[in-house]
Amino acid sequence: MHILAISNDTLFIYYLLSNVIYLGLLIVAIVKNVRHHHRLGSQRLELVKASPFTPPITLIVPAHNEERSIVGSVGALLGLEYPRIEVVVVNDGSDDATMENLRQAYQLQTARILYIADIATAPLRAIYRSPLDPRLFVLDKEAAGCKADAINAGINAATSPYICVVDADSILEKESLIRIMAGVFADPGRVVAVGGIVRVLNGSRVVNNQIEEVRLPKSPIEVMQVIEYLRAFLVGREAWAGFNMLPIISGAFGVFHRDLVLQVGGFRTHAVGEDLDLIIRMHRRLLEDRRSYHIDFIPDPTCWTEVPTDLKSLARQRARWHKGLIDTLWPNRDMLFRARYGRVGWLVLPYMWIFEFFAPIIEVVGYTTIILALISGELSKSFFLQFLLFGYAFATLISIGSVLLEEMTFRRYSDWREVARLLIYCFFEHFPYRQLTMVWRLQGIWQYLRGDLQWRSMKRVGISTNPLA
Amino acid sequence: MGSVFRGIEKLGPAGLVLEAILASLLGILLLVGFIVLRRWYRARYFHKRNQRTVALRSQWDDILSGTIPAEDWRFNPLDCDIVESILLDSIEMSPSDKLPRLLDCLRVSGLLDMRIYEARTSHGLKQQTALLALGRTRAMEAIPALAAGLDSRLRETRIAAVRGLGRTARVEAAIPILDRIVTGQFDAPERSLKNALVNCCRSHPDVLVSYVEQTHGPVRELLARVLGELASPELGEELLVLASDVLPEVRASAARALGNTNTAYTLPALHSLAADPEWFVRLRAVVALGQIENIGKISILLRSLCDGNRHVRQRAAWALARMEPHLNQILEDVIATKDDYALQAFVSELERSGAIEKIVSGFAGSDHHSAEIALMEVVAEARKRVELTGKTAAAAAGAH
Repeated sequence: MHILAISNDTLFIYYLLSNVIYLGLLIVAIVKNVRHHHRLGSQRLELVKASPFTPPITLIVPAHNEERSIVGSVGALLGLEYPRIEVVVVNDGSDDATMENLRQAYQLQTARILYIADIATAPLRAIYRSPLDPRLFVLDKEAAGCKADAINAGINAATSPYICVVDADSILEKESLIRIMAGVFADPGRVVAVGGIVRVLNGSRVVNNQIEEVRLPKSPIEVMQVIEYLRAFLVGREAWAGFNMLPIISGAFGVFHRDLVLQVGGFRTHAVGEDLDLIIRMHRRLLEDRRSYHIDFIPDPTCWTEVPTDLKSLARQRARWHKGLIDTLWPNRDMLFRARYGRVGWLVLPYMWIFEFFAPIIEVVGYTTIILALISGELSKSFFLQFLLFGYAFATLISIGSVLLEEMTFRRYSDWREVARLLIYCFFEHFPYRQLTMVWRLQGIWQYLRGDLQWRSMKRVGISTNPLA
Repeated sequence: MGSVFRGIEKLGPAGLVLEAILASLLGILLLVGFIVLRRWYRARYFHKRNQRTVALRSQWDDILSGTIPAEDWRFNPLDCDIVESILLDSIEMSPSDKLPRLLDCLRVSGLLDMRIYEARTSHGLKQQTALLALGRTRAMEAIPALAAGLDSRLRETRIAAVRGLGRTARVEAAIPILDRIVTGQFDAPERSLKNALVNCCRSHPDVLVSYVEQTHGPVRELLARVLGELASPELGEELLVLASDVLPEVRASAARALGNTNTAYTLPALHSLAADPEWFVRLRAVVALGQIENIGKISILLRSLCDGNRHVRQRAAWALARMEPHLNQILEDVIATKDDYALQAFVSELERSGAIEKIVSGFAGSDHHSAEIALMEVVAEARKRVELTGKTAAAAAGAH
């Protein structure tokens, strides 16, 4: 009985603490977002475009079996509004028509371009260039079974001081590169990496590989993910970046200083969460070198990406994310509570261990002991219900807070009905969706412990076949 | 140890948890209410604003000429905001002959004075907004107020002042910035400073020369970088002085500037800079050589093609691969260097520029057999190279 009481207390404190921390992050994010929004009012993107000091940038597009979306994605990238871009598509041994589609669409020709493998990768089969657009290069390489290897090949081929990694199944808004680079321009000496926001593409109307109309997806599972993405990016990342403690830049859209990426050895091959892993290693390297730096997040440059539409794909994705988390946290456990790693070692990493990695374990143990306490009479039914209601209401408050943040700043969902739907789904996110994600994350831990680091593919609709309203 | 739950339970039904539930529910209600109210207010505001914009646009010529007195719109905050934004947008896009009429309207209506007053007396966001608006007016009398903004304690305000001065695009606006940065104490992002100075000094880059001469270290480098963007043949021998500066950044900027000139001294100066001990100075010189039209640059670029630095080699190859009528001869000369890396870089660039097909077809019926054989060897070698992996490839390519 004593153990049950301790367990219940732990769950109570843990739950309260995690929500209070998120409330704190929400407040910080609101302040930071509103400030950023004011700044945007005076930002003249055409001046940035015309400036001779705007540095070139290489877009790296790792592609593995992306036959549905690759041509459209590349077309959209080449159409981005940025004065000097180079697009390097890395076909990572696709066994579908990815390469063939690219070859036909861009009339690719073999090119004998100097390629120096600063970072070791799986063998290259060929390098292609497009006579239709000299900014496009395609590296055809053998599959290494991981995205990181493809990105590393792209980094080797990149000729710009900055690289931007973009998922092949994603769409960048036309001005997103200029907007994300504004983060670099603010302090080029210190800013070494910048992340942009990733939003859910499902449901929106896409014309010519650009978002024509932002709409919420139809199915509840996708709308839940919209809320999750809003909370994770507009609240979590914005707030952590405000304290220069951003632990992750999404693999779908981020800009990095190429030299620094090379210094840390590129993306770690076979890392499950290569994006998280890279940023933590960047923090480590920069803190060890005692360099003044900033890893920033800018909320307005937007990348739209497809999210899983069925439970099976979503389960795989969440399990993989959780595997990626432990796969990064464990090798970097020596950074915990060490003075040389400052705030990262004392705050971010402990937060990620306690409130990210252990969350599903603590929750499942907590739920079990609460039920046991309820059965054994240790806990009164009325109090149990009150506690559940409180937890539910508090978590819903945070979700609504992230919708509010979206409303106060970027308002991508302009239709009344869309906002109303978002708000309504905030009430359903914490039951039963939250419990499902808990199970999937536990699966991720189990798979990691078994050494199952296999990449499982996600069922995709494809950009070109997105619903046309 | 007593359970937290028991402790809280003692508070009874009106205890902490219940209060927490109520607080959370109240929070939810407030947030939802705020979202709904905000949506409603914004929809109403923009509807009204659109209506007023249409009305004011229909009277625009009368507003500009003063037929409709400024008092009619100036003291209505919404109308005033609309007219100001239309005026500022028009000023930014107008040719110089249309500018006086627009500026007159700003002056006569008192809008310009209002912004000057705000820029001098307000703080924070309001002051920053006023500074940026003042910059967009491009009015001479705005410059002192903008210059005063440079001395603000707030970095954001200083940045707004720098950007405002830059937007005036007047050489007079560059002076307050230059006067402050020569002290070496002025804290603003380098990029904002450079962009502002480029905008202001575009028609008079000579203003920068005296400042470059009296500064040292990073400030000198920054000014040289701006000068490098703007330099024109009119700067004459000033560029030669900069080309022999002790700071490599300044020499690099001089090289960049020389790319915009084509005088008798351009080629000798770039010849010397292409042999600079610093790789990035050599790189800038090679880039500049790529920009100028002079057949004499081929020999310098051929030397740079064998440079120890990969970037210099690549850029020299880039420039050489675009010298269309001379490509066959250049290929022979590159082969004669017996430098495999140079040959590889050149062929890569021929690929990028798409000129390789012309060269290959040009071999037919010609006596450039050695060039043809070498080219085919490079192509075969390159094919092998891309099959190599990791460190092997790095080693094979000689990395840097």
